[in-house]
Amino acid sequence: MIVVLILVPIYATSAWLSVATWIMVGGVGAMGLTMLLGQAGQLSLANTFFLLVGGVSYSVFAGPTDDPTYVGFGLTPLLALVLAVIVSGLVGALFAPIAGRLSGIYLGVASLSLVFLGFYLGRVLPELAGSTSSGRAPVQFGIGSFTISPPNPPITLLGVPLGADERKYYVFVILTAIAYVLARGAIKGRIGRAWRAVRDNESAATVLGVSVMGAKSSAFVVSSMYAGLSGVMTVWWYSLMKPDESEFGTFGVTQAIAFLAMVVIGGMGSLVGSILGSAVVFGLPLILTLLVKNDGVQSGTAFSPGVITNLIYGILIILIIMFEPRGLAGLGHRILALFRK
Amino acid sequence: MRKSTRAALVGGLAVALGVTGCSTKADSSSSGSGSGDVKTDIGITAKEINLGVLTDLSGVFKNLGLAYTAGNQLWADDVNAKGGVCGRQVKLDVADTAYKADTAVTLYASMKSKDAGIIQMVGSQILAALKSQITADNMLSIPASWASTNLDSDAVFMVGATYDVEMINGLAYLQKKGMLKDGDKIGHIYIGGEYGGGGLLGSQAYAKDHNQTVVEEKIASTDTDMAAAVTDLKSKGVNVIAVTTTPAQMASAATQAQAQGLDVPIVGNNPTYDPTLLNTPAKDALGKYYRSESLVPFSSDVPLAKEIAKKYATKYPNDKPNDAVDFGYASGIAYQAVLEKACSNKDLTRAGIVKAKSEVKVDVNGLMDKLDFSKPGQPSTRSTYIEQADPSAVGGLRVVQDLSESTEAKNYKTPFQK
Repeated sequence: MIVVLILVPIYATSAWLSVATWIMVGGVGAMGLTMLLGQAGQLSLANTFFLLVGGVSYSVFAGPTDDPTYVGFGLTPLLALVLAVIVSGLVGALFAPIAGRLSGIYLGVASLSLVFLGFYLGRVLPELAGSTSSGRAPVQFGIGSFTISPPNPPITLLGVPLGADERKYYVFVILTAIAYVLARGAIKGRIGRAWRAVRDNESAATVLGVSVMGAKSSAFVVSSMYAGLSGVMTVWWYSLMKPDESEFGTFGVTQAIAFLAMVVIGGMGSLVGSILGSAVVFGLPLILTLLVKNDGVQSGTAFSPGVITNLIYGILIILIIMFEPRGLAGLGHRILALFRK
Repeated sequence: MRKSTRAALVGGLAVALGVTGCSTKADSSSSGSGSGDVKTDIGITAKEINLGVLTDLSGVFKNLGLAYTAGNQLWADDVNAKGGVCGRQVKLDVADTAYKADTAVTLYASMKSKDAGIIQMVGSQILAALKSQITADNMLSIPASWASTNLDSDAVFMVGATYDVEMINGLAYLQKKGMLKDGDKIGHIYIGGEYGGGGLLGSQAYAKDHNQTVVEEKIASTDTDMAAAVTDLKSKGVNVIAVTTTPAQMASAATQAQAQGLDVPIVGNNPTYDPTLLNTPAKDALGKYYRSESLVPFSSDVPLAKEIAKKYATKYPNDKPNDAVDFGYASGIAYQAVLEKACSNKDLTRAGIVKAKSEVKVDVNGLMDKLDFSKPGQPSTRSTYIEQADPSAVGGLRVVQDLSESTEAKNYKTPFQK
């Protein structure tokens, strides 16, 4: 598996690398949401708000200090990344008390308000977030003398020169792997058990000595940190930090629902499932677009890749809820169980 | 780790390393060859010039995207019939982004390895997402958006007048006809972003020259009801309403103004009109609407426009035409001029094409005024038609003032003008 991941950029063209990195961006955000929703049982539609917070914080921390239009602190990309994730976590912690008072669908609706808040703030704070028309250019990742764009120093792996797209892919893989390992640790440890206790029965959890408020807060903090990381990766992927012009943009309601779809399709609470869910929801439209060859002008196509993907993942959600509520992860377990017999 | 698993891993690694030699990316010398005596790199072979079309064929701007692409294709067919450009046939690589920025980024990643440039790019958020990349990759791209704030990159090949210039010409026309006087109030309804912001730059510049005030009403692109904006403008006593919005929003503003008794002229940028509005209840409110547009209307008598209309009807009999077809064709003519200049410079590399663009002035045979790309940071033309809604005209518009450039537009400095 690791070998395959390492060898992908050797063969994949820039277009396929961008699909792979986009799936990872969604996967990281979905991992956070699956921990919040699947493990801790808190419905939150605010994932995209924290993506915005993460992206804006990174741009502000890493931006140049002498730019007249935008605020920047000139920190190194690595430090800015860490700080952006921490800031997203702090903002998540600010929202946590609301989670303490609400549950289920009411919490979902309340969290949706954050998305609209983000939409508004993005439009009134262009010095931080960039203008809604052209955004602000971010600082691409780099540690010391290793930079992504322009690619320095020149590295060649197995005869293939590693350009900006290949390097971006490797950085994303490393970040996703770290996120995965940490999430796995949280789920298996005390904090995960506390989440599951709160999810299954709050009164029983209190009796067992689990602080319900504490568990909910930690779930929000962790998931917003993951969403913040996903936000920074989004900014790197687009090479642009741009707040939305409409509610249907990168940080809007439809994306929040897309993350929810990823979690449901992949299996709530399953980390591998979040990545698979991201491959379906984020990856499928791009994969289909690249596979469908347009020869000349098509007159008013009804079934474009975008429409087909929406149909597919809509149908998948219905089928999953009807037949396998544990999602693709549940399907995976069933298949493995067949082999173990 | 069990022995068999380890063996499998090692075997897999060995196979992978062996197969690596077949990786096409390991080839060191792929591009950078010359055919004949013209230097070329990506997207140009001895027989073909490949141009990308990054359009919207299934999303919100599908009607425009299909029409632009049809225009591009009609141009390509005509040029190829006459022997192509620089002895090579033009091939269009059409890709549908469905107006989504993430799809566009991925499609661009595949275009940059096979096309020499992009002849059509629909979507201002797509241009925003790709601007730094097209500049770095020297992909000369014609956007279907005309914000002067994008004129800072040489790779942006903007064909036509920018939104600010359109608005200035529109206001100048109203003043010429006595509908606007010095010291008046201009109410401007605009979408927050580079489109609305561009129009606003124009109205603000014009107002400054004429001691007028601009009352701003900022809206979002998804807002549908202009009642609040119009009420506010009426209470502030505006003499003219300027709109830089979608056609539906313009129609809402016009209907509201009529309903509230705000009987003032309305002047809008080129994207504010759609002939299908004449089939809606708004049709009775459009009597005082004027559009400022640098492109010829589809039904124009200009010989090339008539030829395009005829060829379009033959090739695409099932599709309803709009003037986006003419824009697609005009883009083709402009790109052809740049490619021919690059050819005579003996440099058809991407960098060479970008360089050639700033050396050309293009005559688009009446589809627009003569275009001048040699002045960095400035729009290629500052002349626009002024049109009015007309149910009896084909395409729903009649020209009330032919191509002209107002003095204010001539003297206006765009943000990146040197």
